[in-house]
Amino acid sequence: MRYLLILTSLIIIAIAPFSGQIDISLANILDVSKMDYQIFWDIRLPRVVLAFCVGAILALSGLVFQTIFRNPMSTPFTLGVASGATLFTAIGIVFGFLTFISFFAFLGAVLTIVILFLIASRFHATQTSSLLLVGIALSFFYSASLMVLFFISDLQESYEIVRFTMGSLDIVGFNSIYLVILAAIFILSIVKKYQYHIKLLLTSYDFATLKGIDVKKTNYILLLSVSIVVGICVSITGPIGFVGLIIPHIIKTIAKTSSDKLIVPIFFFGGVFLVLCDLIARNTGAVSDIPIGVVTSFLGAPFFIYLLLKRGKRS
Amino acid sequence: MLEIKNYSNFILKDISFSLESNLIILGNNGAGKTTIAKVLSGIIASDCVTIDGLKPSDIHGDEKTKLINYIPSYLEIFDEYLTVFEFLELSNLHSDFPIDTVLENLNIGYLKNNSCKHLSSGESQLVLLASAILHNAKFTILDEPTSNLDPKRVKTIFNLLKSTEYLNNKIIITHNLNLAYQLGYDILFIENGKIKYHGKNEEFFSTSNLQNFFEDSVKKVDNNILVNL
Repeated sequence: MRYLLILTSLIIIAIAPFSGQIDISLANILDVSKMDYQIFWDIRLPRVVLAFCVGAILALSGLVFQTIFRNPMSTPFTLGVASGATLFTAIGIVFGFLTFISFFAFLGAVLTIVILFLIASRFHATQTSSLLLVGIALSFFYSASLMVLFFISDLQESYEIVRFTMGSLDIVGFNSIYLVILAAIFILSIVKKYQYHIKLLLTSYDFATLKGIDVKKTNYILLLSVSIVVGICVSITGPIGFVGLIIPHIIKTIAKTSSDKLIVPIFFFGGVFLVLCDLIARNTGAVSDIPIGVVTSFLGAPFFIYLLLKRGKRS
Repeated sequence: MLEIKNYSNFILKDISFSLESNLIILGNNGAGKTTIAKVLSGIIASDCVTIDGLKPSDIHGDEKTKLINYIPSYLEIFDEYLTVFEFLELSNLHSDFPIDTVLENLNIGYLKNNSCKHLSSGESQLVLLASAILHNAKFTILDEPTSNLDPKRVKTIFNLLKSTEYLNNKIIITHNLNLAYQLGYDILFIENGKIKYHGKNEEFFSTSNLQNFFEDSVKKVDNNILVNL
């Protein structure tokens, strides 16, 4: 099962850049004079790399949030980060700061995590469900603010906001994704470096404290790192939900080992999942691509429920 | 030396004592025993506690793990796939015993590859005890180490606690008065967050003191302390 999964994943990654509205032939990608060359190197390959990095970052961020907040439901997105990014982007769009739009999204995501963290530090470690409720309350507050913005914006602005919330992997060239690649490498190395700490956090906060680690400092470092990389992702692709929630659960259910050993698999399969979703998005739309957020949820939600049912039956 | 000076919080009132070796903490439900343990071990931060001159809530790493360990009365694990062996690896710090030997000595070798989440309460108590032995701090606080065990197991644990081979200094919180009596360590008795008694074991278990602290609910029979039902 495991090898089959890895093999399938590698095949998906390998065919992803070749398939789309225009199919590219392998022979043409090294021939500068062909159009295939440009499509492959300027559009398809950067897009697949972007999808992989963003998926990997979101999945790993989900794992970190679930571990630190000790709740299988908490991800940067269920706690309101995506809504924060969307609201700030909308503010940017409505008030005419279009050149800084990515920065606004980044600001919204990071600010939300900072708010969450300030509130979380007032709770005891065991009150994580309260934090989830805070996240939900924040999301509602953001939604209400967004409604106000919709109300005062014109048609063009409203459309731009709606498109942003659907998530998009449309980019041209590698220049716009270097930051995401760096972010992916950065978060993987930080989480890997803190693997032992994460393993201790998988028991209990008290136990981790007694085994000599500075739990507060560890949490600060991990959450800050995650908020920065998620902010970067959201600023480029818009909010892409669900990956951070389901990939860690799916990998755990399949591998049946403790989460600290699943850092690399969750990173890898998170990436593959988004590449696959993008592949579907690019190949099923009749006129243009289906928004990526739609595919992740359409594909992820039923599979997730299936896994939960299967697990429920066994225990 | 472990020392706590003038500590008070929402439940504890002006707690001060010091100790060099073993201690047994007794007291009614809700008297504040576990809170004291958490303060002593640095889980609840406080400037009133020092162990060999260091504040347990301020230090980390080896410096801390060598000094103090607290074993709660039940095993709390978030990850559902973490095995007993992996859990014990995390505790394998300052002991010379291999994990397998400790497991065998506690007769729980068969649990090695089980998930920590699916242990019975008795089993998890034994796993916690194994982790205490492997951690081997200078002071180990054990919070009700026998509360979920069958009589045979209680006896095994009693012998283990009585021997000096496995753990250095023990601070044992218990409701099992007979265990406290037979171990013979000094007694700290807490009532409503205040220290009511701190002194020798023999004196505490004198008939007059038993009457004073527990009224008619316990009695001494053939040198054993029984609950008088």
